Amino acid sequence: MPTSPDRAPARGRAAARERIAARRAAEQVAERQRRSRRLRLLTGAAVAALVVVAVVVTVVVQSARTDTADAVAPAGTAAGTAGTAFALGSADAPVTVDVYEDYLCPACRAFEADAADTMDELVAGGEVLVRVHPVAILDRLSDDEYSTRAVNAAAVVADAAGVEAFSQFSALLFAEQPAEGGPGLSDDDLVALAARAGATGEDVEAGIRDLRFGDWVAEATDRASRDGLTGTPWIRVDGEDLERPTAEALTAAVEAARG
Amino acid sequence: MTTDGTVAPPRRPAGSGAALPWLGTAVRLVLGGVWVVAGALKLPDPAAAERAVRAYELVPEGVVPLLAFGLPVLEVALGVLLLAGAFVRPAAVASALLLAVFTAAVASAWARGLTIDCGCFGDGGEVDADQTAYLTEVLRDVALLAGSLLLGVRPRTRLALLDRVRPPTRGDSDAHQP
Repeated sequence: MPTSPDRAPARGRAAARERIAARRAAEQVAERQRRSRRLRLLTGAAVAALVVVAVVVTVVVQSARTDTADAVAPAGTAAGTAGTAFALGSADAPVTVDVYEDYLCPACRAFEADAADTMDELVAGGEVLVRVHPVAILDRLSDDEYSTRAVNAAAVVADAAGVEAFSQFSALLFAEQPAEGGPGLSDDDLVALAARAGATGEDVEAGIRDLRFGDWVAEATDRASRDGLTGTPWIRVDGEDLERPTAEALTAAVEAARG
Repeated sequence: MTTDGTVAPPRRPAGSGAALPWLGTAVRLVLGGVWVVAGALKLPDPAAAERAVRAYELVPEGVVPLLAFGLPVLEVALGVLLLAGAFVRPAAVASALLLAVFTAAVASAWARGLTIDCGCFGDGGEVDADQTAYLTEVLRDVALLAGSLLLGVRPRTRLALLDRVRPPTRGDSDAHQP
């Protein structure tokens, strides 16, 4: 013990014992810290593994929930839209106008009020083919998933009575558009409007109440999103986005597209 | 698990350090709560979550489901760890990284003139041009980022499951955490 300044042997032994005790205590502390560090590492690895598993499971479950591969499309959908739109006008028309609308969207209602006549004239004159893509992106803005129910009802009408009836029904839905943030039109209302558009009968009523084309609505909305939909109304003239949703801008864009 | 009771010397008199752990607790609970709520709100409507991710126009279609469905789980997990006070430093670092990425994404949407909602708390996607709230969103993210960094530097707080504040032990420096 070269460091010991003690002269008396007894005191030296006592000091040595103390030093040994202190070293043992220090070793015990170190061991405890090692053990707690190892436990922490193991717990950390377990937590990380749990998170990875949760992510994988959720991705699988949510993918299954959003899978609409076996959705049944209504009759009368337009060519070239994978069965997700309805076409008005001649397929030979030189210009194609795609209109994406949510029946709860106030800006869509405004666009329809402004440009519906213009579109009718362009269609009647054989100048454009209008492809209407009804989508449901505003379900969270009504108490009863009105966007989905309205698009489903429109699909039922198209399926039962054709594209002209669909077009009339769409116009009625915009005319009777409920406010955002509350209840949408009831199923009874939708059935009544369908009848006014020329689609009647038990089959139509059942289709509206049972959300017959619910999966198709999800599929059509998803496809629109993948095609680049970032807001409604989204209007494309021969694939070019219309800057402002007005009759004036539409007419100008159609003229420009015709060259 | 973190105490080493017997060898600790008596507590030092409360100084400037006494309030800091409580501030840390407040930051931890707010941040954890925000993450749990933000993540949970994105789970009920997976299709809307995908649209919110697509609206940024930043990632290829193949990655969209992974982000739309995976990120919310990560957010909830981070939030739970922070609320519980377990693995606070790794959670805080991950939180800071995520927030940095989110802030950059929102800023890029802003810079590119997109008119979208950040989708931070569900919703997301398209909004009218006069309804964008990019400045608010960026400021909120930066504030949360600052909180994450604070917790990354000082992960030990009060009312925590694992990362409790403990009185400094002999020979320990401040940098004794793993």
